[in-house]
Amino acid sequence: MTEVLRVERLNKRFGGIVVSDNVDLTIARGEILGLIGPNGAGKTSLFNLISGVLRPDSGRIFLNGEPIDRSKLFRRARMGIARTWQHMLLFRTMTVIDNLLVAPRAYPGESILRVTFGLGAVRAADRQARDRAMAILTRMGLEHTAESMVTDLPFGQQKLIGLARTLMNDGPLLLLDEPMAGVEGAAYETIKTVVREEAASGRAVCVVEHNVSFIRDLCSRAVFMANGKILQDGTVEELISSSVLTELYFGV
Amino acid sequence: MEYLATVAILIALYVILAASYNLVIGYGGLATVAHPIFFAIGAYTAGLLAIHTDLPPVLNVLLGAVAAMAASVTLAASSLRVSGDYLLIASLGFQLGLLQLIRNLELTGGPGGLSNIPSTIVGAARTPIFLAITIGLAIASVLAIRAIVQGPYGRAITAMRDEELAFTALGRNAMTMKIVIFAIGCGIAGVAGGIYAYYFQYISPDQFEVLQSAQILTMVVLGGMGTAYGPVVGALLLLAIPQAITFLHLPPSIMAPTQGIIFTTLVLIFLFVRPAGIMGVDSSKVRS
Amino acid sequence: MYDPIILAQIFWTGLASASPHVLMTVGFALTLKVTGLWNFAQAGFMAVAFYTMYMALNWLGLPIAVAVLLAIGTTVAASLATEAYGLQVLRERQSGNLTFFIFTLILSEFLIYVITLIFGTEPQTLFKSILSPVQIIGGVAVSDWDMLGVGLMIGGMFALWLFMTFTRDGQFLTAVADNAKLAELYGISARRSYRVTAVIASLFIVASMYLIGSHGGIVPNTPLELVLSAVLGTLLGGIGRVFAAGAASIFLALIQSFSILFLASRWQNLLLYGFLFVAILLFPRGVRLPKFRFALLAGR
Repeated sequence: MTEVLRVERLNKRFGGIVVSDNVDLTIARGEILGLIGPNGAGKTSLFNLISGVLRPDSGRIFLNGEPIDRSKLFRRARMGIARTWQHMLLFRTMTVIDNLLVAPRAYPGESILRVTFGLGAVRAADRQARDRAMAILTRMGLEHTAESMVTDLPFGQQKLIGLARTLMNDGPLLLLDEPMAGVEGAAYETIKTVVREEAASGRAVCVVEHNVSFIRDLCSRAVFMANGKILQDGTVEELISSSVLTELYFGV
Repeated sequence: MEYLATVAILIALYVILAASYNLVIGYGGLATVAHPIFFAIGAYTAGLLAIHTDLPPVLNVLLGAVAAMAASVTLAASSLRVSGDYLLIASLGFQLGLLQLIRNLELTGGPGGLSNIPSTIVGAARTPIFLAITIGLAIASVLAIRAIVQGPYGRAITAMRDEELAFTALGRNAMTMKIVIFAIGCGIAGVAGGIYAYYFQYISPDQFEVLQSAQILTMVVLGGMGTAYGPVVGALLLLAIPQAITFLHLPPSIMAPTQGIIFTTLVLIFLFVRPAGIMGVDSSKVRS
Repeated sequence: MYDPIILAQIFWTGLASASPHVLMTVGFALTLKVTGLWNFAQAGFMAVAFYTMYMALNWLGLPIAVAVLLAIGTTVAASLATEAYGLQVLRERQSGNLTFFIFTLILSEFLIYVITLIFGTEPQTLFKSILSPVQIIGGVAVSDWDMLGVGLMIGGMFALWLFMTFTRDGQFLTAVADNAKLAELYGISARRSYRVTAVIASLFIVASMYLIGSHGGIVPNTPLELVLSAVLGTLLGGIGRVFAAGAASIFLALIQSFSILFLASRWQNLLLYGFLFVAILLFPRGVRLPKFRFALLAGR
């Protein structure tokens, strides 16, 4: 098993609230890791720390063996950390395809110099990105929505667009923050299939999700968090059968 | 005729100012009020170089723009690190502080202003030449800005304005983009300042006050923030209306405040009734 | 060596001349703290306050107390109307902070233009004479105006502190400033707090304009410059810290008065902006920003 992400003794607190308490974690190539725990356990904060939205107080983060904890948010994305957001954060005044087109790891169009003096190359990169974007949309059965404004789509489809935008980043690590929240029907199955395919293609995937059956279907391994701590790391069945955790989480 | 030509030159310069300001606040979403100070930096740099050196005028104007850009990068880089909101107040302080400095330095002519800027072009063709230059530059800057905000760069600008966090987390360097947009906008204002100094041959600190900030802001808001031609409409309208009232031959003590009341009333009405401006699309339709 | 009497005189005069600015800055900083707004409309309210008093005293020949009461009435009315029909509408629309800025600044200018149309641009004072009787206390010249200024400054700050510490409405102001949404969950009306703030700021504005208007000439444009000095004090005092903003403007005034010992007078104003400049460019974080949630508080 090749290790893609390694987190070592990661600490982060806001005033009196500890969102990450000595967290150690590894995710391997091709693995789908489930991250579960009650609200406020620090799951999203862990994503924020890994992707670079937050700076840890102490601890280290490695991507493919390289330390990344001092890199800025946008650099980590370029190194190949792709993530989704609980609240999607789509570019709401743009079309679906434009949402995807600004999302590749390298986007030469963000440099005024390249746009001014190398417009040909920028346009070529744009065409390539467009092909990739259409391929991703087609996989999700959304190719017909390419030219729609994102805000005109139903919620479930917006959720898929959020995932599609993240997939434009073809890096080794994929962080999914509650991909299933509020999703039902066809979109549900699509997301499951896509996540499986991404892992099968060799990416390391980490999913925060409250939907236990989704975690059970997809993940061989899961981690239970509460109060910023990782309480248990094991198979999904082990976690569910642990009485302490079920009490903490499911309130049974 | 000379008078009308001067008004036209002034309008063209304000079109440049409003269009570049619109790039910064309308497209870039960068809340700053200090645009007149970058106009001033361009004007004073070009004016001082014209007085004290033998450099060619075109170079002086360009150096004025470079100075404005350098100042804008310093301001943006230091205040954007804190937060986007901080820029608004930082820019205000920057403008007031720099004006105060200009007022107190011997070099810049103090509160009386900088006069005796050499005329460069002399003779009957002077005004027509300046008219052609300013109108040409106004058209060029409006089109250049339109080109910037379309295509791949414009897509990035829109995405950044919509959702900066998600944009950055996709690997886009939002900070650099903001500073670049700010520098381009302020650099263009610097060019306008240089030409202003050469044409009017006189500049004074009073011309770059917060009231001028409000005036340019008004042009952009009225015309339509974040639209390509809104600032043009705004600048034309706001400079043409006072000219129209001039023909009423009111005494100056009534004229000036009346013009002011007309401006401010227009802005207030637009702010509440049509926030998107004359050229803008109603935002409620965009959001639906 | 400098004569201690001269130093004491400079200190006292500096303190007294700071008083109207401190009052104004405290009102401005309180508004920023509670509503999250840099409320430039206060420049317009200052003009309203001054010219109401001017009109009542010089055109209608009313007694001072009545003139002040009238000014409180018009200023509070202008401020509340702006709050209810302007700011609240923009808040409900979730406007960006630039919109709030434009609205408050343009509203100020509108009021100032209207006042210019009525009163002209000649400098005006509240009273025929701006001289104030002087007593010598321990070798230091102390005018009645100085006493009134320092008294209003100390009294105003103390009253505000009492209000914010001991009354429910005052405590609500702090709660709304911390987190308007959360405060609403606990049944505190943010809207009411905004209005209370508008009234308090108006009182400070009237006191400040009375002091300034009885000490020197004012033109309709003066308030815009005055509000900028409030911005300066607020920035240097640290956003969200009302009394520190007041202290900062005292500090600035004293620095300015003492600078006459070693600086030509024309550099004194520059000194102020020098402070601001350095703070903004070199220590943007040095100006403490605990409550700087502009859009969050204002827009949502």
